[in-house]
Amino acid sequence: MTEQQSIPIQSPAACQTCPAHNAGNLLRLGVDMTEFDYVVALAGNPNTGKSTVFNALTGLRQHTGNWPGKTVQRAEGAFSFGGSKYKLVDLPGTYSLLSTSLDEEVARDFILFGQPDVTIIVVDATRLERNLNLALQVLEITDRAVICLNLIDEARRHGLTVDERRLARDLGVPVVPTAARSGEGLPDLLQAIDDVATGRFVCKPHRIRTQSRSISDAINRLAQQVEQQFPNLPNPRWVALRLLDGDQRIVEAVRKGELGDLTRPEMMEMA
Amino acid sequence: MATLALEPNGIKQDRVAALLDSAETLRWQIGQEFHEQLMEDIYTDAARIADRAVTRPDEKPRFDLDRTIDHIVTSRLWGFPLMILLFTVVFWITITGANYPSQFLSYILIDTIQPFLWNIANAIGLPWWLSGILIDGMYLATAWVVSVMLPPMAIFFPLFTLLEDFGYLPRVAFNLDNIFRKSGAHGKQSLSMMMGFGCNAAGVVATRVIDSPRERLVAIITNNFALCNGRWPTQILLATIFIGALFPVYLAGIVSALAVVAVAMLGIFLTFAVSWGLSRTVLKGEVSTFSLELPPYRPPRVLQTIYTSLIDRTLYVLWRAIVFAMPAGAVIWLIANVTIGGTSLAEYFITVLNPIGIIFGLNGIILLAYVVAIPANEIVIPTILMLTVLVYGGSGAGAGVMFELDSQLATRAILDAGGWTLLTAVCVMLFSLIHNPCSTTIYTTYKETGSRKWTAVAALLPLVMGFAVTFIVAQIWRLFSG
Amino acid sequence: MSDSFLTLLGAILIAGVIVLVMWPGKGLWARWQRSRQLTKRVLAEDALKHIHQGDLDGRHATVASLAGALQISMDAAAELLAQLQTDGMVEMHGGDIALTPQGRDTALHIVRAHRLWERHLADETGYDAAEWHARAESAEHALTPEEIDQLAARLGNPTHDPHGDPIPGARGTFIAHDSVPLPALAVDTPGRIVHVEDEPDVVYAQLVAEGLHPGQPVRVVEVTPQRVRFWANGDEHVLAPMLAANISVVPLAVPDETVHADGTLADLALGAAAEVVGISRSCRGSERRRFLDLGIVPGTVVSAELRSPGGEPTAYNIRGALIALRREQAERINVNFQKLAVDSK
Repeated sequence: MTEQQSIPIQSPAACQTCPAHNAGNLLRLGVDMTEFDYVVALAGNPNTGKSTVFNALTGLRQHTGNWPGKTVQRAEGAFSFGGSKYKLVDLPGTYSLLSTSLDEEVARDFILFGQPDVTIIVVDATRLERNLNLALQVLEITDRAVICLNLIDEARRHGLTVDERRLARDLGVPVVPTAARSGEGLPDLLQAIDDVATGRFVCKPHRIRTQSRSISDAINRLAQQVEQQFPNLPNPRWVALRLLDGDQRIVEAVRKGELGDLTRPEMMEMA
Repeated sequence: MATLALEPNGIKQDRVAALLDSAETLRWQIGQEFHEQLMEDIYTDAARIADRAVTRPDEKPRFDLDRTIDHIVTSRLWGFPLMILLFTVVFWITITGANYPSQFLSYILIDTIQPFLWNIANAIGLPWWLSGILIDGMYLATAWVVSVMLPPMAIFFPLFTLLEDFGYLPRVAFNLDNIFRKSGAHGKQSLSMMMGFGCNAAGVVATRVIDSPRERLVAIITNNFALCNGRWPTQILLATIFIGALFPVYLAGIVSALAVVAVAMLGIFLTFAVSWGLSRTVLKGEVSTFSLELPPYRPPRVLQTIYTSLIDRTLYVLWRAIVFAMPAGAVIWLIANVTIGGTSLAEYFITVLNPIGIIFGLNGIILLAYVVAIPANEIVIPTILMLTVLVYGGSGAGAGVMFELDSQLATRAILDAGGWTLLTAVCVMLFSLIHNPCSTTIYTTYKETGSRKWTAVAALLPLVMGFAVTFIVAQIWRLFSG
Repeated sequence: MSDSFLTLLGAILIAGVIVLVMWPGKGLWARWQRSRQLTKRVLAEDALKHIHQGDLDGRHATVASLAGALQISMDAAAELLAQLQTDGMVEMHGGDIALTPQGRDTALHIVRAHRLWERHLADETGYDAAEWHARAESAEHALTPEEIDQLAARLGNPTHDPHGDPIPGARGTFIAHDSVPLPALAVDTPGRIVHVEDEPDVVYAQLVAEGLHPGQPVRVVEVTPQRVRFWANGDEHVLAPMLAANISVVPLAVPDETVHADGTLADLALGAAAEVVGISRSCRGSERRRFLDLGIVPGTVVSAELRSPGGEPTAYNIRGALIALRREQAERINVNFQKLAVDSK
C-alpha cells in the first residue's frame, strides 16, 4: 500500500493531454504505435476525396496493405505537427457503421477498440446531408473528432455556401473547410487535429435524437446501466444503441470485458 | 483497493448478465422496427443540421457539367460506341506501347545478361548442373515473366486507374449491368473482367469493388475466362503460324487476328454462360444485393496515378516472377536435364502423357508443359518448344533450355517435327483459354475468398471444361476428317 | 472414324451417368442423401411437431392425421406412436394423444430450429422465399442445440421468423400474438400482418407472389363470400377468402399511412421526383440495410436521373448521390409521386 501511495495516480480529468488511444488493441488491429505520439483515423463516405486528404497529409510517407485477416485494403501514413508524431490510418469508405458489411466492421472496430486520439471525418461539402449520416454515427462512438469539410471549392463552384461555424456549433466538434486537392485549409486541419489530440479542444459531440419516445427511453435506461457497469466508457449511449439492435459483436465485447478495457487506461493500472 | 470486487478480467459477471438480460427485455419492448426508426432519425437529424448550415443558390444553375457528360456516356445512341472506342484505344496503346519495352527488356535480360551470367559461372568454375539450374532454369523463367508481363501491365493499369479516378468506370458498369444481370452477375464484373485481360490475379483483386457476396464469387470464379496478358502471345503465335498460314498472304494477317478475337470472344461468352450456371446452382444460397454509385466526375491526378501504379505494378510483377516463376524455372530445367538411363525425366513423363493428350487433340509435351508451367502462362510456349526439341531434335538454344524464335517459320518447323497439325494448334488455343488459372491467380483467389472450396472450384472448373471442349473438338474433327 | 465415334459415344454416356447421379436435388446422390435422412429420429421429431401444432390449433392429433402429415401408412403411424410412448414423449388419454413435458420440449426445440433456420435463410442467404420452408424442414433435424443457440446469437436473437411466427426462446418461452385471420378484420380497421402461413406450398407461393409479408400494414376494403379486397404494401389486393384466411393480422390502434402509396420507384418517369413511403417487407436482410444506409427512409425525396442504355438499372438522385438501382429493387420501394418536378439537390 505504501508503495502504491507513492505513485501519483492520475485521475481521468487530470489526463486530458495524455494520448487516448489504446495501444494494445491497436497492435491487434495491426497498428504499431512505437515511435508515434498519436494515432489519427480517417473516416468518410466513398467518393468524398478521402484519399486525396490522406495523400495531402502524409505525402509519400505511406504504405498500403490489408487489414489483419481481412481482404480490405488499408493505407497507413505519418505526419508531424507541433513537435508530435502522428500516425494516420485510412479507414474503408462507408455510408454507415450500422450494417454488417466487412468494410463497415473494419471501420467500426478501429474507432471503437483502437480508440484513436482523433478521428477525421471527411465530408463532401456538396453533399452534406448524405455525409452527415456517417458523421453522426461516428460522433456517437468517439468524442474526439474533427470534421474535414472537403471539396469546398466544388461547393463554391456550385454556388453553395456552408456556414462551418454553425455546423461546428451544431456538431460540437471542430469543422475545417478544405480543398485537399489544392491544399487549401490543410494547415487549419492540422491545427484542429493537434488541438483535439492534445486536449486543448474538448469536443461535446452532437447525439442522435430519436423521435420515438419508447426508443429514446429504452436507450437512456440501457445507457445508464452500461455506464454503471463500465464507468468512464466514452460511449455508453452508443453501446446501448448497439445492444438494442442485437449487435452480436458488441454483446460479445460486453460479455468478455473488452469494453472494460476501453475505459481510461489509468483505471486499469489502479486495479 | 478496487480489485476486491472484480473477477480476473475486471468485470462483475453477474452484473454483466443482468445488463444483457435487460437489453434483451428492452428489445422485445421496442419491437423489430428499431433499426429502421433509428436510420430514419439519423437522416432526419442530418437533414436538419445540413439545412441550417448550407445556403443554396436561388436559381438552379442552367448548366450541370456532370449531368451533361452522364447524358452522353449513358445515352442509347452514344453509350456503347463511346465505350467500345475508349477501350479499343486503351488496348491499342497497351499493345503497341508494350512492344518496344518488351523487346528491350528481353534483349537486356535474356540476350545480354544471361550470356554474361554464363561467362561468370564458367570463369569461377561452377559445376554445369548448378549454373544450369540457376541461369537456364531460375533466372531465365524469371526474366521471361518480367519481360513479357511488365510493360503491358505498366501501361494498361495506369490507364485503367485514370479512367477510374475520372469516374468513367462506374458508368461502364451502369451501361453493361443489364447483360450481367441476366446472367446472374453484377455490372461491376465488367471492370474486373477487363482487368483480367491484363492479369487474372489483378482481376480477382479488382472484384473487391463488388460488394454483393454471390456476384463477387461469380466474378472471381469466371475471371479466368478473360484472356490474360500471359496468354495473348500464345494465341497470336499459333493463330499466325497455323491458321493465318492457310490463307493467301494478303488475308493471313486479318484471318489470324480474327481467330484470336474469336478465342477472346469465346472467353467472354463462357464468362456469361458460367456466371449464369453458377448463380443458379452452387452459388444459389449466397446473399445477393446490388448497389452502384455513380460518383461525380473529378479530374484524375495523372502524375500521381502513373507513379503509384508503376511502382505497385513493378513490385507486383517482380514478386510474382520471383515467388512463382523462379521455382518453376528450376523444375523445368530439372525435368529436362536429369536423366535416368540416358533418358530425361521429361521424356518419361511425355511417353506416359502422350496417349492421354492425343484424346484431347493435344500431345504429351503440351500436357507436361501445362503442368510444369502452372505458375506462369508466359512460359508455356518456350517450354513446349524446349521439350519438342528435346524429344524430336532440331534447332534451338540448346537442349534443356527454354527458348523462343524470332522466325515464325522456324517455330513452325519445330512444331511440325513434333507432330503438330492444325487440330493440335486449335486445341492448344482453346486449352490456353480454358484451363486452370496460373498459380498466382489461384493463390490470390484463396486470399480473397478465404475458402478452399471456392478456390478449388475456381481452379478445377475451367480445367474440366477445357478438357471437355478440346475432347469434343478433337473427336468431331477426326470424325469428319476421317 | 469409328474410333472417334465410339470415344464420343462413350464420353456422352459417362457424362450422362455423372449428370444422372450428381444432378442437384433430383440426382441419385441427392435422393440417396434424402432417404438417409428419413431415419426413425426424423419421423419421431416430425410426429412430435405435428402433435404440438395440433395442440396449438386446438384440434388434437389422431393416428390418421399423423399418418397424413408424415405421409406414412396408418400401421406405421401407430407403430411410431407406440415407440414415442415407450420413450416417454407422448401419453394417451383415452383416444387423445398428448405430449409429455419432455415431448413438448423436443417439439419446441424442433420448431425453434425450423424458424431460426428460416430467419437465417431469409436474412443471410439468397434463397427464394418459396424454398425456405423445405430447406428448414431438413435443417431442423440436423442442428444440435448448441448450433441453434449460436445461430440465434449470430442473427441477433430474432423474435419472429420471416413468416411472422414467434421463435420459441432457448428455454422454450413462447409468445403468441392475438391475431385474427384477415377476412375477420373489420372493414376499414387498420391492421398489421403478423403471419403468413407457409403451408401448403402452393398457397404460400401465391401469397408471396402478391408481395404479402409479415410487418406490412393492411386495411380491408371489402369482404364478401367470394373475395376479400384490401390494401397492403402500397397496393390493392383481391384474394379468395380461403387464401386470405392464411394471413393473420392484428388490429392497430393508430392507422399506418404507409398502407397507401401511389406506386413504386420503378414506375417513376425519368426526371420526375417522388417521396419514399417505405421499403416493402419482401426486402430483407443485407439488401434492406443497404437501402437504409443509402438514405432510403420514409420522407426522402428521390428523383430518377438516368437510365442505362441496356434498359436497366436506373440511376436515382438519393440525398445528393447518384445511385443506380435495378428494376427489381426499385419495385420494392413504395413512393408517392410528387406533382411538380422538384429541383434535385
